[in-house]
Amino acid sequence: MKKTLSLIAVATMLSSPCSAEINLSGFASINAGKVLSGTGVPQFGIDEPTFLADYPIVSTYNDEITFEPETLFGLQISANVGQGLSIIGQVVARGADDFDPTFEWAYLSYEINENWTVQAGKKRLPLFYYSDFYDVGYAYVWMRAPADNYTWQIFNYSGANVLYTGEWGDWSISTNIYAGREDDKENKLLSEFFFSEPTREIWKDIVGGVFQASYDWFEIRLTHMQYTNQRYQSGEPVLWDGKDERDGKFYGIAMNADWGNIFVLTELNRLDLGGNLDTQMITLGYRFNDVTPYISYAAFEEDSVGGEEHNTTSLGIRWDFHPSAAFKIQYDDVQDKSFDLAVAGDSKSLTVGVDIVF
Amino acid sequence: MKHFILGVAIFAMATSAIAGVDVIVHPSNNNEIDEGTIKKIFTGKAKSFADGSKAIPVTQQDGSAVTDEFNSKVVKKSSSQLKAYWSKLVFTGKGTPPEEAASDAEMLKLVANNPNLIGFVETGKASGDVKVIKSF
Repeated sequence: MKKTLSLIAVATMLSSPCSAEINLSGFASINAGKVLSGTGVPQFGIDEPTFLADYPIVSTYNDEITFEPETLFGLQISANVGQGLSIIGQVVARGADDFDPTFEWAYLSYEINENWTVQAGKKRLPLFYYSDFYDVGYAYVWMRAPADNYTWQIFNYSGANVLYTGEWGDWSISTNIYAGREDDKENKLLSEFFFSEPTREIWKDIVGGVFQASYDWFEIRLTHMQYTNQRYQSGEPVLWDGKDERDGKFYGIAMNADWGNIFVLTELNRLDLGGNLDTQMITLGYRFNDVTPYISYAAFEEDSVGGEEHNTTSLGIRWDFHPSAAFKIQYDDVQDKSFDLAVAGDSKSLTVGVDIVF
Repeated sequence: MKHFILGVAIFAMATSAIAGVDVIVHPSNNNEIDEGTIKKIFTGKAKSFADGSKAIPVTQQDGSAVTDEFNSKVVKKSSSQLKAYWSKLVFTGKGTPPEEAASDAEMLKLVANNPNLIGFVETGKASGDVKVIKSF
């Protein structure tokens, strides 16, 4: 994240037609945790207490202390080739994937003018407020973005988007319109956690938009996205009401208020897949200089009898002990209310970690 | 009461090692630039001056007294809050943090030579080659 102007100035002076300004930056989280107590899911034959801290990555803690579930290293390289054009790649190695490094982002970005930017390539799907910087723990207060909200199995897409940033009076505005698709040959959450068989998940004809406005202490984000879902389990197409595809529509609103010391973060989302799947989150925090205690509640509820339903109450502290690193400790109390669609059962867990950016 | 005043004085000294910051631009820059505009330019929310010319913010080294002073008085965020803010933009392709000058001297040299730059130095350090637009 750090650059010195003199170095850039020298590079510019010496610039030859093929030179590019290269920037290297990165982030890391080293987390450890364990379940203190939990029910498991006896009706599925799982007696071991389990805490699913992160759905799409399948970060699970059990009653032994482990570091792997949420520890990750990310490296971003961006090459500015001049005249507003740059290429950016982000490689992430996760403990949950045996630290195999993979490109999570690989895109080009072209700044047309100070307001408009066009981007194309592989990016994070910006569904929720925290989706696109989900891996950068340093950028938010909690240990992780609330798991009950960030449940969707697809979190990347390939396509193109147009970004607008500008000022409307005293309001700062940013919008993002995107389109693309994702074909996940072996989706981790569905294959390993929910169906226990190889599951290919396709989200096609993705079209979405994000509108964000901020004014001093207040910020609001509105979003809508729609897509067509196809799924293959062990190679066989999954049928919904006799058809091999279904349409999904996502709606979200997030509002944050930050008065300097005290802040409130909220998020409300709905995915309509023929029936509604609702998620909500509220967090309250207070900054005492470098120490920020917070309390958070997040819930997921499927709008049908016996549907998936769970919530988490979290208490934690973020301590900015170093200019580029934060220590966090978080206690999570998960209540899994459904029987037929239970996820990981009730659990009480403790996680600690350090988030770094550079 | 005396103890209280002394306490406040010590506290003020502890939190601020320098007298203040002067925000500077090139002498040819005649734009009206208020505190809110400075904050927006340094958080990447505004990218031009009132006359439409490009505004390029330059900060100073992370952790230096003058940077801390500027961040708390003008941007009104701690340096970790600001770093968290920029990491969210940097790693999502939505913004780049300001370049850094290594010292007041380097800042003065850069701003004196580029009409698009806006920077800051410790109060009283500005030379005749730059224009002080606001003091905090």
